[in-house]
Amino acid sequence: MRALAARSMRKSRALLIVAVTAAAFTLANSSASAAPVTITLCAKPATATLTGAVSVPIWGFGLGSCATATASLPGPQLVVNEGDTVTVNITNALPAGHTLTFEIPGVTFNASATDVAAGSTGTVSFTASAPGTYLYQAGGGEGRQAAMGLGGALIVNSLTGGQAYDTQATVVLGAVDPNFNAAPDTFDMYSYRATYWLINGKAYPDTAGITATAGQRVLLRYVNAGFDNTSMALLGLHEHVVARDAHLLNNPFDANAETIPAGATEDAIATMPAGAAPSTHGFPLYNRQLHVTNGDQTAPNPVPATGGGMLTFIHP
Amino acid sequence: MTHKMWRLGTVLALTASSLLAVAVPGSALPPGAPKVGMVCTPGTVNGSTHTFNLETKTGYIETPDGNSVFMWSYDDPTVDAGHFQSPGPVLCATQGQTITVNLTNHLTEATSLVFPGQQGITASGGAADGLLAREAAAASGTVSYTFTAASPGTYLYESGSDVAKQVEMGLYGALIIRPSAANTAYGDVATQFDPSREYLMLLADMDPFLHHAVETGTTYDFNSRDNRYFTINGRSFPDTIQDNGSGLLPNQPYGALVRIRPTNSTASTLPALIRMVNAGVDNHPFHPHGNHTTQIAQDGRQLTSPGGAPAFTEHFGETIGAGATEDFLLRWDDTDHWDPGTNPLPVPPPNYRDVTFKDANTWYSGSPYLGYKGTLPAGTTTQNICGEWYFPWHSHALNEFTNFDEGFGGMGTLLRVDPPGGCFTTAFSTAIVGGVLKSGSVSALAVGGTDTNYYQVNPRTTTRPTATTAAQPSITVASAAGFPTSGNYYIRIDNEVMQVTAGQGTTTWAVSRGLLGTSAATHAAGATITALANDWYGSFSGVKAGSTNLKVIYQGKNCGNTTGAACTAISTNLPQQTVKICNWTVPGAAGCNTAASPGWVTLPAPPSQPQDVGSTDVSSTWTPTGLASQYIGTGTYNGQVKVLIHTQRWTAPSPTAFSTWGNLLALTYDAP
Repeated sequence: MRALAARSMRKSRALLIVAVTAAAFTLANSSASAAPVTITLCAKPATATLTGAVSVPIWGFGLGSCATATASLPGPQLVVNEGDTVTVNITNALPAGHTLTFEIPGVTFNASATDVAAGSTGTVSFTASAPGTYLYQAGGGEGRQAAMGLGGALIVNSLTGGQAYDTQATVVLGAVDPNFNAAPDTFDMYSYRATYWLINGKAYPDTAGITATAGQRVLLRYVNAGFDNTSMALLGLHEHVVARDAHLLNNPFDANAETIPAGATEDAIATMPAGAAPSTHGFPLYNRQLHVTNGDQTAPNPVPATGGGMLTFIHP
Repeated sequence: MTHKMWRLGTVLALTASSLLAVAVPGSALPPGAPKVGMVCTPGTVNGSTHTFNLETKTGYIETPDGNSVFMWSYDDPTVDAGHFQSPGPVLCATQGQTITVNLTNHLTEATSLVFPGQQGITASGGAADGLLAREAAAASGTVSYTFTAASPGTYLYESGSDVAKQVEMGLYGALIIRPSAANTAYGDVATQFDPSREYLMLLADMDPFLHHAVETGTTYDFNSRDNRYFTINGRSFPDTIQDNGSGLLPNQPYGALVRIRPTNSTASTLPALIRMVNAGVDNHPFHPHGNHTTQIAQDGRQLTSPGGAPAFTEHFGETIGAGATEDFLLRWDDTDHWDPGTNPLPVPPPNYRDVTFKDANTWYSGSPYLGYKGTLPAGTTTQNICGEWYFPWHSHALNEFTNFDEGFGGMGTLLRVDPPGGCFTTAFSTAIVGGVLKSGSVSALAVGGTDTNYYQVNPRTTTRPTATTAAQPSITVASAAGFPTSGNYYIRIDNEVMQVTAGQGTTTWAVSRGLLGTSAATHAAGATITALANDWYGSFSGVKAGSTNLKVIYQGKNCGNTTGAACTAISTNLPQQTVKICNWTVPGAAGCNTAASPGWVTLPAPPSQPQDVGSTDVSSTWTPTGLASQYIGTGTYNGQVKVLIHTQRWTAPSPTAFSTWGNLLALTYDAP
């Protein structure tokens, strides 16, 4: 009976994962404990709408069976607890010929991941032994699958109470070249040139803000799902960088323009100041390589832009 | 010491350095700016408020490949009449001050300032709230920003409006906040540095096609950005190694040459501080040759372990992210004690056939040895002043070490390690103007300092062909050669000391008899006359105009004998030594070719002169009064320095003859 009760709880927690989006949420893990968790993912074509009502074909992960899953850019945020034994079933509904390999850098699968041919399902399992922020993605396709959007964040929550933050937000960085997305099989990657720079799949002004009030400690979980080493500038405060690639740093440090390498993750805690923010929108968090434009830039004497791309604000 | 044996570093040498004075109109520098190292724009301090005025303007910079690039930048209208400069002025303030920056916008679109790393910025005035900050309207709009300089460190300031264009166009500069603790970067003693060796490296990158599009109002696709020029402090290599305020680069006032002397861990010498700011849009992997640099801070925050101890890291390559700042300490400990004579660097000089010698653009130093200049073919001009050693510092993204894809260029500069103590040079010739050479040559005065080689000068002697009576007021001598030609001086015949008061330079002297405790007496024909003083000078050459911090070193002793190879000890009645330097600007100095030239000026204390010097070697160092340029010859005497050693021994009651033994005669100086 105990086993049955545990199993039903597991199912409800699996549903919880669906409810968790990339937006900030408050942790209340004191009663959490390690348990078996099963996650079902479908990799399938979909359409993403970018700023300016631009529709772009993507390949993305969606939760659940392929019949019901909605693939998103990035894929759904997966949340498990430290110690959970996790099984991920991946169904490959990509166009024929696109074999997919599921990978989570920094996580050791119980058995080597096997290629999942289009139209079939594969399974990986692992123990979420170390808390932290991870990137999951589709390997293979010479990077074309990841560039099409097959990636997302995996959060392994610590079971230790009293964490040094009050609220958290996942910041998945990525970019899209619509010309590539329109022809992922034939596009000459030498010509790849991203024109949309995204935080959690959105470009400013469509990016979701990060909510935090003065005095709150915001854990920013950076996940660089893109191809570019990305420097994120933060105005009006410093962030305390505590972990890289899901490993605590021996010597955490403060930064306000931190570079997250492609494929890497980084955790930083920003304590919101009491004073006024630099901008009426809040505390800007933006791509300091100045990828803050949307789409083609073909106007003469480039006209003053109002901001776009990889930009959001932290605000109350 | 960790050093890189990259011979190119020694073969590389300075291009013709600008010798123009700094802070003249047109230099875009505040008065008193140093030629090398970080230049702060002073601003105005009123109580605890530090105010800076900035204005946005357009102008042009020059690139080493002959291009000029249209830029937007900041300048301070109160410095050099608001001369256009790129990058913006270096704003320096002290922790705890209230900083106010008043911005006047002369661009054709609105702009604003953001101060990454600063908290609680309030804006006043301005036209409207922009995306990231309050904006000043186009065409002379104004806005002011105020914040507290809360934390010491190296920061960036830059445009917060239409950043993809405006920052790329050049709207950036460095903000330095110094702690109240003197000579530290972050207040912690672990961040102590030598304040005379503080350097800023503001990195940036440019796509000239954007600049052209903005200048001409044509199209540009930001998604096709392809940076072709890479700068440090607004200049590309080799312009980076020119002085601050070089007249060759009127709109790019900040040089990036890093210049140090070897540090010494046992002598408590302090490291240099390198403040790095990446104002560009690319992440730049910066690679210092010569030694590891020690990173002490990022984004204006000291690197500290959870326990509070410094968590510094050593780097020979460090990527500085776009918008980030990093601070480094640099030591160059000469733990191997390189010495050109006894412990030369194991670097073979290139064969002359492999290097190009022509005119004044030779790019080979003449020697890879720190502190020693090797031999070059006659007529060859070397750009290496005194055996200093150069290491390249550059972006290791080697496409950035170019000017529009032509290398070397771009994001590069040089680390110049001067010899210990500065440039060191020894006399190349000597001339005796009151005495006679006993033994030794000028080489005995060179190198080594304390050694066993001496340049020995005896007092001059001559004879009286005829007998001398006790009352005789005038004497005729066989020869006056080697005796002073002017001034009263003492001579001795037998045991009588007399003073020559007239007729100097001729063979008939008026003499004052029976001096210094002796009595007038008769002397037989053929008696020997001995001078009681030695005068000689050493000549130096090749001291570059514009050298500073000139010091004179003389080490020697005096011996009681004038014959024999061993020094006879003197323990009483020590000879008195006076060291003089030729001031070429004194009227009538005429090359200081005689002991009596009015150009000879006594070197000022310390140590005071005359100085008693007996038969134990005494080493003394003097600093000439005033500008070093007075003592460095020009025209016929170009690059010459002369130092005269006068020694006399006539004090009662033992005015006996002696010899002067010189061991070292040298100069140290900072070459330009």
